[in-house]
Amino acid sequence: MNRKEYINNLKFYLQDLPENEIEDIIYDYKEHFRVGISRGKTEEEISEELGDPRNIAKMFKNSLKSNQNEKDSPPKNLLKIIIMSIALGFFNLIIVLGPFIGIIGLLIGLYGMSIGFTAGGIGLIFSTIGLNLDSYFLIDFGASSITSIAFGIGLTSLGLLALIGSIYATKFIYKLIIKYIRWNIDIITK
Amino acid sequence: MNIQFKKGVLELCVLSMLLNYDCYGYQLVEQISKYIYISEGTIYPLLRRLKKEGLVSTYLKESQEGPPRKYYKITNEGRKTYMNLVEEWNSFVEGVNKIIGGDFNE
Repeated sequence: MNRKEYINNLKFYLQDLPENEIEDIIYDYKEHFRVGISRGKTEEEISEELGDPRNIAKMFKNSLKSNQNEKDSPPKNLLKIIIMSIALGFFNLIIVLGPFIGIIGLLIGLYGMSIGFTAGGIGLIFSTIGLNLDSYFLIDFGASSITSIAFGIGLTSLGLLALIGSIYATKFIYKLIIKYIRWNIDIITK
Repeated sequence: MNIQFKKGVLELCVLSMLLNYDCYGYQLVEQISKYIYISEGTIYPLLRRLKKEGLVSTYLKESQEGPPRKYYKITNEGRKTYMNLVEEWNSFVEGVNKIIGGDFNE
């Protein structure tokens, strides 16, 4: 394994830790490689001496876990876990589900709008230039062709921007959902 | 050797080394593995745990080659833990030596 492979593997096995945590960990290993190389070792030798990235990742996760367990140690009984699960289930169903569906709807709408803008803009440009597209795309403003091409370009850019925005929004919401699910699991199991 | 046992010993070794001067990760690995066999990558999870427990702190310091290096420094809390661990270790070794040396009464 060379340096890049080792670092990538380690990142892969650490992936369910928080991002800043992973970065901090990787910093140490990158430094280790740098120093090792400056002492005349090969990347392969260093990887070998460091040991299997999977085991290393496990040790990082264990050291974090054992810390948490010490903090909230009183063991919970089964009944409590069941009651918590049911209560949380109801809470999710009644209070969280509605907004959740709303947000997903909003996202879908956002994508629809972005694609609509982009397609409309491109359609406008092409139809103005005079390429004979399907009449479905033809939009006549009665404006000069320069204006409508400019408008078409504007519309396309706006659509693409909105698309990029939507992708970011999706990522953000995805992270929120994962966090929320983790929080749920934490409540039940701790 | 038992892994839990080795982990405890490694913690003691790291704290002892940091007692004298601040080190970066590679230095610790290099020095310790001169004397005992360790899988080198395991030192970083240990350092991380020590940091979380407040036994060591870290700071970055410029180096001649490349980006700054991360140095580890022992805290007062770490010194206390070191004292306790050394005491534990000494009485442990003493006990074991007595047993394996057959040097005990009945």
